[in-house]
Amino acid sequence: MESLNALFSLGFATALTPANLLWALLGCTLGTAIGVLPGVGPAVTVALLLPVTQSVDPTGALIMLAGVYYGAMFGGSTTSILLNTPGEAGSIVSALEGNRMAKAGRAGPALSTAAIGSFVAGSIATVLLTLLAPVLASFALQLGPVETFSLMMLTFAAVSAVLGNSPLRGFIALLLGLAMGLIGIEGQSGQSRFTFGLLPLIDGIDIVVVAMGLFAVGETLYTATYENKIVGRIESLAGSFWMSKSDWKRSWKPWLRGTAIGFPFGTIPAGGTELPTFLSYSAEKKLASPAAQKEFGKGAIEGVAGPEAANNAAVTGTLVPLLTLGIPTSATAAIMLSAFQQYNIVPGPLLFDTNPELVWGLIASLYIGNVMLLVLNLPLVGLWVQFLKVPRPLLYGGIIVLATMGAYALRQSWFDLMLLYIIGVLGFLMRRFDFPVVPLVVGLIVGPMAEKHFRRAMSINEGDLTVFLTHPVSLIILLVTAAILLLPPLLKRRQALLGCTR
Amino acid sequence: MIKRVTGEQLLAIGIILIGLVMAWQIGDIPEEAGYAGIGPRFFPSLVVAGLIVAGGALLMQRRHRNGPDTILSDGEDDTEQLEAEEAAERGEANWNMFIIASGSLLAHMALIGLVGFTLAGTFLCFGICRALETRRPALDLVLSFLLAIGLFHLFKALGLNLPALMPGGLL
Repeated sequence: MESLNALFSLGFATALTPANLLWALLGCTLGTAIGVLPGVGPAVTVALLLPVTQSVDPTGALIMLAGVYYGAMFGGSTTSILLNTPGEAGSIVSALEGNRMAKAGRAGPALSTAAIGSFVAGSIATVLLTLLAPVLASFALQLGPVETFSLMMLTFAAVSAVLGNSPLRGFIALLLGLAMGLIGIEGQSGQSRFTFGLLPLIDGIDIVVVAMGLFAVGETLYTATYENKIVGRIESLAGSFWMSKSDWKRSWKPWLRGTAIGFPFGTIPAGGTELPTFLSYSAEKKLASPAAQKEFGKGAIEGVAGPEAANNAAVTGTLVPLLTLGIPTSATAAIMLSAFQQYNIVPGPLLFDTNPELVWGLIASLYIGNVMLLVLNLPLVGLWVQFLKVPRPLLYGGIIVLATMGAYALRQSWFDLMLLYIIGVLGFLMRRFDFPVVPLVVGLIVGPMAEKHFRRAMSINEGDLTVFLTHPVSLIILLVTAAILLLPPLLKRRQALLGCTR
Repeated sequence: MIKRVTGEQLLAIGIILIGLVMAWQIGDIPEEAGYAGIGPRFFPSLVVAGLIVAGGALLMQRRHRNGPDTILSDGEDDTEQLEAEEAAERGEANWNMFIIASGSLLAHMALIGLVGFTLAGTFLCFGICRALETRRPALDLVLSFLLAIGLFHLFKALGLNLPALMPGGLL
């Protein structure tokens, strides 16, 4: 109840000021726009906005960035449904059924169930966040550097082993991120590391340059090299826009199930929205009525409603570890963490005591943002469809100009443009050879934090490495980490063996 | 039998090389032992070891259609088949376009200090349009210029200084 009290007395009082409402609206609008545009994701947009938000007060800036993150999930479904090109990773599954529905002239109901489902899931997930976050934060207060370090190891293992097809590739991406995070002055000893005598590297590689390089430059190089021949066709918005009675009846259960799948996945460090959307899709496929089951693959509304709810709930879920533990579990959350750092605010259990207006204002703005997004995405969907008509070459040209500008504006130096290009080529190679980029971004941001906690744990315990196993909470976390690493290959081997004997 | 080195193996070699270069650089970090023996060299050493081991594993990885990937081939080895399938799905690479896009980015880097943001940005945006095989280059050139000059003035108004061609000028 205390949290409800804080939400209403502090949170809404902060979020409902005209300035913060405006930031929320700006964030939601921008988020929807970039969600709609194929090729631009929330991570790159949040990174692009980092330098711009430096002069804005932290609460307003974070409200806007959260709106972008959120809005991208709403907007992404529009692109999946109408263009069959997912606007972002969480919308891949909605493209399966949603685009079929659009081809059959049912684009309206598909868009509606996606938007209303996102709203329902986002709202329920925000209630869960409101109730859970303070409890988890007070628990997290008891965690010392030993437990925090173990938690970070769990995050590393989960983002690299669970995402993508190959754990090895995930680990290489993670190691590359950790390596980049080492560059520059090391905080505790003041020694510079891996600067190769180059002065601009002393401050380290900026997350803005990394995000732009990987997501904007890398993506553009890949599209130019491999995807020029692919032409998308926009489905028209003909037919009834509203959901029929049977559409509602078939949608509400998937919305709730999607929320139940998505939220926990967001809170655990398994990174991102792809996994819960896929799980939700296969759950709906199994649970649908026999008549609806026949529609799967041809445009079943359950296959849009569930995954769309799941991806929004997962996004809200990622805010739980970010706000209470200071641990990001997705690329966008990692970049938001660096937004906090930019204001010298450390997200974590103390945040609820040190910056209550900011935390509760941010949480309250999620409720408001959800309503804004429903309005932005349902009645105004026709406006966003116009965005899909921007020719792809010009769209990528614009993204690249913005990315180079973001990198250049950091220090007015060509050196950052050089780094941007080098990281862009790395992003191209990672895309070409199927390496996930999330572990890299998480490694870059969390790596230096992990090192700090490790050295702190060592100095408290006089260099005794066994503390990680003798502290019970740390031991449990490390056992879970080991399970994440060892179970999937063992299960796969067992399956392969069973397949052979059959 | 000599097999062709695949792109993935080259990448694995690159990762090992990064590890080796970093290992060589660790020597340059002053080893002030730090408290409890954990100095500024400790974490870098872990990362370097990880990169070399993981790069080696990638170099020798054999893939299996249904089972987990392994380092050593245990009979059934679908690596080449799987790679061929993926290459077919990806389609032919058009390296000319990669070069045009890269050239535009590098030229922009060299030009921005000389001719200012607007002209360098126009050139870059237009170059990317060409790399993505635009079908209406003339219109894109005009739109690129409008975008660049619009952004220049927007950010000038927001207090972000971008290099201009003319001192305090329009471009």
